[in-house]
Amino acid sequence: MREELGKLLDHLGQKEIATWHIGDFAIQVDPKTIVMSAIAGLLVVALALILRRALRQPIEDKPNRTQAALDFVVDQLNGQLLSNFSSKSLGTRMFPFVSTLFLYILFSNWLSLLPGLEAPTSDPNVTLGLALLVLVMSHVFLVRTKGLRGYKKEFFTPWWLSPITIMSEVVARPLSHGFRLFGNVFAEMVLVTIVLAKLEPFVIPIGLRVIFGIGFGLIQAFVFSILTVAYINLATEKH
Amino acid sequence: MLQEAQTAVQGISGADLVQVAKFLAAGLCMGIGALGPGIGIGNAVSHALDGIARQPESRGALFSTMIIGCAIVETTAIYALLISIVLLFVA
Repeated sequence: MREELGKLLDHLGQKEIATWHIGDFAIQVDPKTIVMSAIAGLLVVALALILRRALRQPIEDKPNRTQAALDFVVDQLNGQLLSNFSSKSLGTRMFPFVSTLFLYILFSNWLSLLPGLEAPTSDPNVTLGLALLVLVMSHVFLVRTKGLRGYKKEFFTPWWLSPITIMSEVVARPLSHGFRLFGNVFAEMVLVTIVLAKLEPFVIPIGLRVIFGIGFGLIQAFVFSILTVAYINLATEKH
Repeated sequence: MLQEAQTAVQGISGADLVQVAKFLAAGLCMGIGALGPGIGIGNAVSHALDGIARQPESRGALFSTMIIGCAIVETTAIYALLISIVLLFVA
């Protein structure tokens, strides 16, 4: 058991890269990340399909246990995410997107709790992809609220500040957004592996793993989605 | 003593020194880079707790605002992490 963990420590963060050659292009992918993120997505969909069955009852009936639990989850999401949108209409329009993002990241983070699986969010490509999604989204909102001229004005007034503005808005923002999630998930993975490998006789490994995984995963998913809300708010506000 | 040191030094090449510098720089970068955000997050949380202690009913709003603030303060630590990763694996 211990040697196994020690070996895990040696290969921590190593990727097995597969390369596809299509003509002159070489596409490099990490099959593990793809499979893991597909599993996370399928898990969310499967849970939704399974839990939907419990909701098939007349609306006048007393809510059953599943419905009560789901009500609690939706209430929490409503309270924490919806209240942070700058306007109510924006909130109701964007709530599905943000809460889907939240649930997907939550289940991705929690995947590492299952033996043999790895959190896809511990790969920077996944988190940067999600951050890029949010970036494109917020820019689309910016164009919609301000128009193309206003969009240009946003970045080029005053013109001599434009390099800094573009740097901070377009480059640094998705980088920090994506790497925040990656850094925290990866650091949690490293920490837990090191503690398990080196301090195995002193702690209850499974308990630590579960408490760390659940707490960290929840907080990081929440931070990611609440920052998404903040960025969308910034993009839609009118001066 | 001196002889021991000399024999130990003889096996070290330039590439080894570069590796040593990389590890040192990555460790220092992360350590010093985490100082500021640590102080900042501590400040943010302490004031949020003050606010919650004074007005327990404003807990929800304060909590989510605090999380946003913490996330933004954390950004500099994320940049330090980025530089450490670049130093270790790319440079």
